[in-house]
Amino acid sequence: MEGLGDSKLKHGSETMKNNEDSHSGPAWNLAELLERVDNDQELLRDLLNIFKEDFPPTMRSLESAVAAEDLKNAARLGHTLKGMLSSLGGVRTAAAAARLEVIATAGETASLKGALDALKCEAASLLPELEAYMAEVRH
Amino acid sequence: MKILIADDDALSRRLLEKTLERAGYEVTAVENGKQALDQLTKLEGPRLALLDWVMPELDGPEVCRRVRKRSEQTYVYMVLLTSKGTKEETVLGLESGADDYLTKPFNAEELRARLRVGERILLLEDRLVEARENMRFRATHDPLTSLLNRGAVMDLLARELHRSHREKRSTTILLGDVDHFKQVNDTYGHVVGDEVLIEIANRLIGSVRPYDFVGRYGGEEFLVVLNSCDPAFAPGRAEELRRSVSNRAIQTAKGSLNLTMSLGALMSSDWGPRPVEELLHEVDTALYKAKASGRDCLRMAQPMTKTEPEAAPLLQPVRLQR
Repeated sequence: MEGLGDSKLKHGSETMKNNEDSHSGPAWNLAELLERVDNDQELLRDLLNIFKEDFPPTMRSLESAVAAEDLKNAARLGHTLKGMLSSLGGVRTAAAAARLEVIATAGETASLKGALDALKCEAASLLPELEAYMAEVRH
Repeated sequence: MKILIADDDALSRRLLEKTLERAGYEVTAVENGKQALDQLTKLEGPRLALLDWVMPELDGPEVCRRVRKRSEQTYVYMVLLTSKGTKEETVLGLESGADDYLTKPFNAEELRARLRVGERILLLEDRLVEARENMRFRATHDPLTSLLNRGAVMDLLARELHRSHREKRSTTILLGDVDHFKQVNDTYGHVVGDEVLIEIANRLIGSVRPYDFVGRYGGEEFLVVLNSCDPAFAPGRAEELRRSVSNRAIQTAKGSLNLTMSLGALMSSDWGPRPVEELLHEVDTALYKAKASGRDCLRMAQPMTKTEPEAAPLLQPVRLQR
């Protein structure tokens, strides 16, 4: 199984819009997630493991779709990531995935790459937090 | 209670599965709309369903539409789960046949509360179905003996006669009348008379095959329809029914009573296609003959001719005169 950081996500993008609401607050809302799983640590570990397995390949598929300007697949993958991330409490990253889905659905090819960069930037903040938590609960 | 989860996102599926198992549901989880439809349309399948809107194969609203098209099956309560949230989309989801709509990421408490609403609706549906079935039973059955009532057994007889004629088989119609039943009522009262009728009904039902019909035709008259009955065996089967009444005493509140039954019988293969009323008239005549012959016996209705005369051609060929 690959690590969460293996998708080579990088910080920084000139297309990021830092004034949006979803950019405020923590990258990962652990408290909300704990409430959702009724404080079940085992379930939380399960979810993080599923995410660790599913997120990198979905992200890679999205990168390929954006590179190929395949709007239909980009919208579908953006939607999948949005669902996955919001279930996990990754509020800001989920919002970035939602924006990408909207842009792809609207056929705004020119804005697609920027939306992908913004998503990667948010994911780069989120993933270390998840990794740190998983390392912590393993010990 | 069984519940179906359909979501292509493994993470969301696992979260829902665990949340619902913890709430006491028996969970089936699938990852696309086609699998969801298969589950929801199979016999004894889940009647509660949480369907993701966007799924491979079939999306959530399409699953709802296809489930609703199958009106013959029991009601399925379906909740669409989605991150879509505009009013137009909510309307679209509900118009497709969904009962409710929940936005992702869901709140566990809200989800459970909404599913309890679904359970209440399903319980209400069960009660309505039960009430309808009770009404249907009452409309087609005799309240005293629980046998088919006159209307119901006549309908079934008419249908059976058509079928046996089409398939070139024979249906045997028996009309039985309890001998001296008026004396039972007059001597022991109507409560004992009712006991006698109930016991005779049970004996008749116990003497026929599961696919034969027994109905209460009148006060102490019973109509029995032996479906696809070989004419060679029909008189023997009728005799068995007659003996089922006379071979042992009937226990009542006022002691045991020895009763008999007279029977008239008719085999449809002897008569050709005729209206039910006409055939019943013939059976009734045979029953009258059984009564006139001393009761506790069987008389078969015999047609004057076994086959219909062949119809003359409407037009005779004209020979041209030279």
